Amino acid sequence: MIVVEAVSKWYGDLAVLSGCTTAVARGEVVVVCGPSGSGKSTLLKCVNALEPFQQGQITVDGTRVKDRATNLPRLRARVGMVFQHFELFPHLSVTDNLTLAQRKVLGRSGEEARRRGLDLLARVGLSAHAEKFPGQLSGGQQQRVAIARALAMDPVVMLFDEPTSALDPEMVGEVLDVMVELARDGMTMMVVTHEMGFARKVADRVVFMDGGEIVEDAAKDAFFSRPRSERAQQFLSKILAH
Amino acid sequence: MLASLDLSVVAASLPYLFGEGMVFTLTLTALAASGGLVLGTGLALVRLSGVPGLTHAAKLYVELMRALPLVLVIFWFYFLMPYLGAWATGAASPIQVGPFASALITFTLFEAAYFAEIMRAGIQSVPKGQSAAARALGMSYAQTMRLVVLPQAFRNMLPLLLTQTIVLFQDTSLVYVLSLTDFLGAASKVAQRDGRLVEMYLFAALVYFAVCFAASLLVRRLQARIAVVR
Repeated sequence: MIVVEAVSKWYGDLAVLSGCTTAVARGEVVVVCGPSGSGKSTLLKCVNALEPFQQGQITVDGTRVKDRATNLPRLRARVGMVFQHFELFPHLSVTDNLTLAQRKVLGRSGEEARRRGLDLLARVGLSAHAEKFPGQLSGGQQQRVAIARALAMDPVVMLFDEPTSALDPEMVGEVLDVMVELARDGMTMMVVTHEMGFARKVADRVVFMDGGEIVEDAAKDAFFSRPRSERAQQFLSKILAH
Repeated sequence: MLASLDLSVVAASLPYLFGEGMVFTLTLTALAASGGLVLGTGLALVRLSGVPGLTHAAKLYVELMRALPLVLVIFWFYFLMPYLGAWATGAASPIQVGPFASALITFTLFEAAYFAEIMRAGIQSVPKGQSAAARALGMSYAQTMRLVVLPQAFRNMLPLLLTQTIVLFQDTSLVYVLSLTDFLGAASKVAQRDGRLVEMYLFAALVYFAVCFAASLLVRRLQARIAVVR
């Protein structure tokens, strides 16, 4: 579904990504982890071309991301993305947040978009909040609406960029529950997160990044029980110690 | 001295002052403000586009307009426009532009420079993540701006936009240099005709104050209401 081949990105002399190669198969859940500044969010944003990269190639469902002929808006419409800071549109109601891109990008009718949006709102357990504005919701609720908004586009893959990092601890669970359910329904997911509990529960593979490189790319059990690299061992011992 | 004021002059001229003068002032203000906002938003987008030549051109325009006194721009445009028009269309004689059209175009172009700066600040006040989210949903640049960024920028800047419009409302009195009759011009005519300068100018000042004060109050209330959004 996603193939990342030798992707490199730099700002002047500063290398942000160096020769990253990995892949996400259909229906697979891949967790990308690593210390801050390791380039994991940047790599994720390269997948839907929110960040440009200088070298290498990324292919999403057969479409090359770095290709002048590629219609990027069309590609992005098929790739759902969930942001650390939710990024719901504050001037629109929850319903309008869910329907805007369906109508304007996919060309769905207002009625159809509304039905699809409200279905997904029910799925994330927030039907009662359809007419509210984002500012009236808690962080966890906003993030669940953001997930529903991305799903409303019927994406072939979902990208999550630290979806729980900006949340108060007591709200992390409700968002992870939605994500776990999504993974169990067979959604292809690429998730940048520090939530190792989530990784243990639903990930198929774990990609560990440090200094802009993919240091380890292993099946979940192999990664947690016997990480090969010293850096991954250190990282795991630090975040699993608590 | 106050005993010698003759307010019947004011009362008698009310239909003329408001029916013609104030209508003119409000029409010019409304048209120039809307035109200036549209053009200014365009300039702000161009300036933020990052396209080297365009960005500098927009910046130069804004800086130039903001450096010139409004009266100078009004004169300059009024006397130069007919020749520019003739040159552009290849006509043999200067194109006739009526004083009202000339004033409207001038005010629109002038206000656009100020509105451009306000909208630029407004666009920059919208977090980058908002346009990233819009693009991630598959929206084009135009859709991202029109549906997500500009509505928020406009909301954030509404108080400043209205304040600028109040300034414009006062500035429209400068059309007297083109012999157009706005509210102040109308008051001035009556004052000269009847030899009642004190009464008429006192009344005109009072009306300007009342309108601007009411508008400022409105802006303050709007500010309080809009501040809740984010």
